[in-house]
Amino acid sequence: MSHTERDSPPGAVRSAGITLELRVRAEADAAIAARFQTGDDSALAEAYQRWSPLVYTSALRATGNAADAADVTQAVFVSAWRGRHGFDPAKGSLPGWIMTITRRRIADHWEERSRDSRRVSAVAATVAEEASAPSADAAVDRVLLADELERLGQPQRRIIELAFYQDLTHGQIASLLDLPLGTVKSHIRRSLDRLRTRLEVDRVAL
Amino acid sequence: MLHCDDDDLAVIALGEPASPTDETHLRDCARCRAHLEQLAAVVASGRALTESDHPVTPPAAVWTSIAAELAEGPQATVTPITSARRSGRSRLWLVAAAAAAVGVLAGGALVGGLLGDRNAPELVAEAALTQVEDSGFAGQAMIERSSSGNVLTVSVPDLPLVADGYYEVWMATADTSTMVAIGTLNPGHVGHFALPDGMDVNAFPVIDVSVEHFDGNAGHSITSVVRGQLPV
Repeated sequence: MSHTERDSPPGAVRSAGITLELRVRAEADAAIAARFQTGDDSALAEAYQRWSPLVYTSALRATGNAADAADVTQAVFVSAWRGRHGFDPAKGSLPGWIMTITRRRIADHWEERSRDSRRVSAVAATVAEEASAPSADAAVDRVLLADELERLGQPQRRIIELAFYQDLTHGQIASLLDLPLGTVKSHIRRSLDRLRTRLEVDRVAL
Repeated sequence: MLHCDDDDLAVIALGEPASPTDETHLRDCARCRAHLEQLAAVVASGRALTESDHPVTPPAAVWTSIAAELAEGPQATVTPITSARRSGRSRLWLVAAAAAAVGVLAGGALVGGLLGDRNAPELVAEAALTQVEDSGFAGQAMIERSSSGNVLTVSVPDLPLVADGYYEVWMATADTSTMVAIGTLNPGHVGHFALPDGMDVNAFPVIDVSVEHFDGNAGHSITSVVRGQLPV
């Protein structure tokens, strides 16, 4: 099955597939961001409630240590609050900005570690440094994906789980869930788009 | 030129075979190939997820430390991250806790298997959360042990948004003389909370969800919506 050529770039085409839920969430985020920028500290509390699980779990995955993850989380929110004047809503969302700070703070953490270990062993330091940047990005992306998967409604979430973790084809999923083939296929497409969009919107230039 | 259908690209990204037409087209069209690669990257990351990628709420002490650091100014010494142990500030809460009907949940899957059975954490205890003072809400709580520590999961369906406030999850001693603030439960979400390492969960069997306000008061507000006791 094919359709005629569209002139718009693939990103623009797929952004039309952003669900209503994502739009509503973006609007709620923007409302918090506006108060955050003006220095309203209840907005900091709300930002922390909403996004600290993402920050903390990313840090936990990257550092493998609860105490380090707590330190990174604290550093992220303290620097986000103190640096709130540097947040530009035109460049991206507040959670995107917070997750970008998280990637930086995780990298800082690794840098400190590698400085410490450099005294011990030059070889170990090189290894730690090489591992730092990708591990921060990968940890954040994985946590964002897990979060977005959890937010998928039914039957979308069930369908994606069957496709991801049971390796069922869309045909097998359709007969298992007694859904039309085309429905399963478009749920898969929308869910993958939604997961991909989530990774993009939460990656913001500082 | 006819491009590949987006739905078809999605299932190809999952590893299903492309039709001969799509296969030919993908060989010639950089745009469709780029789209497929993006989707395949999402699939690869999604398939690589484990239970530990699941967002958990940080220990409540992290917020306390942030508030302390911001209050003290840039040069302040960072408050050590330890488990936040607080005393209940009202006897009313104690009375309510004693009167609360407590039920134990038999079996029952609380959280859907997001990530299948990979690195399945071990169930430590679970409990039904029942309404407090005709709140009309009910929920479930469980503690699981995984390689990264104990995680408390709390689900209270249909909680409404609180104007100028939020829901806080607490763990308390059986006599509710000591309460530990665990974290925030957002309406419409199942809460996953990493419990502090070294916290003896057997010592804090009461799970309570309260309504709190953005008032800077760290204690329990006295207004609880659900409560239950873990069979520990």
